[in-house]
Amino acid sequence: MLNLRRLLAGLALLGATGATAVAQPQPVRIGLIEPQTGPVAFDGTSVIRGARLAAEEINKAGGVLGRPLELVIADGACRPADSVAAAERLITAEKVSVLMGAFCSGATQAVMPIAERNRLPLVTGVSSLPTLTEAGNRWFFRNAETDAMIAAAFAHGLVEQTKAKTVAFLAVNDDWGRGTVASFRGVFDKMNVTTSVSEFFDHSASDFYTPLTRLRSARPDLIIVVAETQAAATLVKQARELRIPSRIFGVGAWTTPTFLNLVGPAANGLLAGVAYTAAAPGDRNAAFVRDFRAMHNEDPGKYSASGYTTMNIIAQAIQRAGSTDAAAIQAALEQTDFTGPTGNLRFDNKHQIYGLQLYVVEIGNGRAEVRGTATLERND
Amino acid sequence: MLLSDFLQFALNGLVTGCFYALTALGLSLVFGLMNIVNFAHGALFVLGGMLASVATERLGLPLWAAIPAVLAIMWGLGVVIEAGLLARMRDAHILPVTLVTIGLSVFLVNTMLMLFGTEPKNVKTGLEGAPIFLGDVIISQSRILAIGVSVVAIIATWLLISHTRAGRAMRAVFQQPEAAALAGIPIARIHSFTFALGTTLAGLAGILLGAVFVVDPSRAEPAAVKAFVVIILGGIGSLPGAVLGGLLLGLAESLWGGFVSTGYMDAVGFVLVIAILLFRPSGLLGAPASRVG
Amino acid sequence: MTENRIVLLLLALAAVLPAFVGDQYVMHLLIMTFFYAMLSTSLNLIVGYVGELSLGHAAFLGLGAYTSAVLSTEAGLPFWLCLPAAGIVAGTAALAVGAITLRLEGHFFVLISLAFAEVLRYVVMNSVELLRGPLGYPNIPAPSLSFGGTVLADFASKAHFYYLGLALLAATLYAAWRFARSSFGLGALAVRENRRLARAVGIDPFRHALVAFVAGGVLAGIAGSFYAHYLTFVGPEVLGFSFTLSALMMVVIGGRGTLLGPLLGAAVVGITLELLRSVNEARLSIFGILLVLAVMFLPDGLVSLRWRRRPEPAEESPTEALDSPLRS
Repeated sequence: MLNLRRLLAGLALLGATGATAVAQPQPVRIGLIEPQTGPVAFDGTSVIRGARLAAEEINKAGGVLGRPLELVIADGACRPADSVAAAERLITAEKVSVLMGAFCSGATQAVMPIAERNRLPLVTGVSSLPTLTEAGNRWFFRNAETDAMIAAAFAHGLVEQTKAKTVAFLAVNDDWGRGTVASFRGVFDKMNVTTSVSEFFDHSASDFYTPLTRLRSARPDLIIVVAETQAAATLVKQARELRIPSRIFGVGAWTTPTFLNLVGPAANGLLAGVAYTAAAPGDRNAAFVRDFRAMHNEDPGKYSASGYTTMNIIAQAIQRAGSTDAAAIQAALEQTDFTGPTGNLRFDNKHQIYGLQLYVVEIGNGRAEVRGTATLERND
Repeated sequence: MLLSDFLQFALNGLVTGCFYALTALGLSLVFGLMNIVNFAHGALFVLGGMLASVATERLGLPLWAAIPAVLAIMWGLGVVIEAGLLARMRDAHILPVTLVTIGLSVFLVNTMLMLFGTEPKNVKTGLEGAPIFLGDVIISQSRILAIGVSVVAIIATWLLISHTRAGRAMRAVFQQPEAAALAGIPIARIHSFTFALGTTLAGLAGILLGAVFVVDPSRAEPAAVKAFVVIILGGIGSLPGAVLGGLLLGLAESLWGGFVSTGYMDAVGFVLVIAILLFRPSGLLGAPASRVG
Repeated sequence: MTENRIVLLLLALAAVLPAFVGDQYVMHLLIMTFFYAMLSTSLNLIVGYVGELSLGHAAFLGLGAYTSAVLSTEAGLPFWLCLPAAGIVAGTAALAVGAITLRLEGHFFVLISLAFAEVLRYVVMNSVELLRGPLGYPNIPAPSLSFGGTVLADFASKAHFYYLGLALLAATLYAAWRFARSSFGLGALAVRENRRLARAVGIDPFRHALVAFVAGGVLAGIAGSFYAHYLTFVGPEVLGFSFTLSALMMVVIGGRGTLLGPLLGAAVVGITLELLRSVNEARLSIFGILLVLAVMFLPDGLVSLRWRRRPEPAEESPTEALDSPLRS
């Protein structure tokens, strides 16, 4: 009897392994539209790195719906035309279940109608133009702070802490830079803080002595800089060379290892408002930083964290939906409740994330230290 | 506006002007003498900076050793590109030749993205020390180095072209190709020499870019476009013109950005180009160029 | 088979193709191919027939796209009015730019054309109040075609855009063909082939070049309008150098100065870039190599495989106009 039972069990086991070997579960495909070439290629690649880590972890834990996740990555180059082409391909030829992207707000705006037309969820982890979630596109979700939210979260505290009476802005001349400056100015104007100078520079600019010299003689109490890694690193170094005494507050990926490494000791004393920093407190972040280091051999920055959490949000939604049916995933995304390295994340009725932790960090001795936190509140 | 501000703007403009001049110098040689619209110039410029970054940051070479090593590689690359691609198209129409350099540029930029990654990079100079004060005007040590190296390179190029046999042969080949051939000048070698020189100058400018700012492959296209602007300003094929055009553009951008608005800073060059060409189509120092016939 | 017949055959094939291709992505690729074919055909009028290397062509494309974007989103005009307006605005700009620059010697024309396009891009980038600067125009409405209150086509499906694109491409090709056969086209060719001789028989090189330049500008503006309504978003990148480069690539790879060339170029470049997607990161590196090889081995483009042009000397004379002053 005993032998027979063992034999039966053995047969069952054999059958089970045989079945998995024969019918490999079809992977669930997620399409990523991120810039891998062009001026923001570096930041786009960071998003992909975060997403890869998330996918690997999820697959190690058994995938979603018992199927592995597969990332299909397409270069959108931050340009509308390329991003649209990428979206069309991912949807039709690659048969992805969910789209993630497309980094720059302009590119995302061009992809949004395609997601709507094809009835496929589109989740961005980066695009920060406030009006994106005002368009009433129910297939679109944003796991990122908007320009206005950063300003709302930081502007008051900044003025109170630094006792600034005058501020100056230096920002990259794109939708993000323009939008962030406008939002900060809105708050400052109400607080009777004077804006002495606001200057915009090109994506490809490398010499900032000219606008910085203007700032030097304007002598604002506080300088707010909106820039990506490349420009921010050069700009801060040059501000130090010019001995500008004003406090600098940066918006962008200002705590990444690449940034700190490029700027070196000149970074000491900088303030930055970020939606993520590797130095953020909490066990979940510590685990994320450890795993990210193990995979990519560097600390994660804002964009990597956003890639990581966005991928997790998507995966959990598919799991909750119980199928890869787009409408079911869309409904499940609305129920998102994900706690990860960036806080406890949920979407409001306009599909804007809330619960995201925002940090004010100060850089000292080449390391970022958290000086203050704020939580993105529900606002709809 | 304070006087010290004006002086600071002027000095800033001279520093960027030196960069523009050095970048444009190589392009002007190739454009003016070989009649090649070299769109790969920007990519070669970035490549110089990337190689220097690898040499100083990863291999730990000091800058004085890294510069000649990188320049030697760039020279070799210039010879290879000329022999492999351009020499075979010497009699072709300007369009296909332009397209070949565009293809080369696409290849170089994206291969650099693959090999070196997307991160912006520094060239280590060892000059992290305090900036220097001239009254209220400030200049960093790495900028002084950049100016110094640019000036030396520009003078060396000028001496090479005007005072050596190679330089005389170069001018002869491009002004009177048939006569030069009759006089027994090795035409193929002169073409090779000219393009290699242009490539090396691009590489040197790239090294300095990485030393003062940061370098990454997305700089290639804007750099090439700026260099084209400079050589139009100065006059095509005129080396003093390229230098003058570079300095003028640097100064104009800096003063415009300083006193008016930085938003339009990068448009200043193009506006200058349009203005100069309307009133003096040959550029500042070029030969008259209204169309014959 | 003559070149014209091949073009007609290709257009006829394209007209029946949607019956066999249901794939939305392939349809999208074909629609973008039509767009690029229009753009490169318009550039070909300048590059191929006049023999001038224009690096500022994206300016006309961008002007068309912005005209359509502003008129349809701000003024609420329908596509059918935006489209001709885009052509008129771009054509007027071409007239102004051409009148100034076409008198200049080749080298200078090359770069000043680029300068005009870049200045325009910076103006748009910095006009936040007037032209929304880098924010661009989203949600540009799709065209709709109605007759007596009944909607004939609402352009919700790709097939509608497909046929719109095909029709515009056919119209563009027809315009190019008429131009090439007109006294202006023949005159422009004569100027390209031998400037001095053309002058001697009473052809005014400047006037012929200007007409070609304006025609190219109008067609590029129309292509820009189509782009705006199809992609629904227009930002400063439509004025960027990369569109000029793409069009230039297609003209040269296909064969400049021919009707079929830009068409072939647009298709071949599009297909190659698509096929190379399988190699991922190496995609553009390999594309660069292919581009270099294609141009080196077929400097007169793909059409030269079939229609070998008259002996070489005739092909070379256009360089004369572009020669360095140091050489003459």
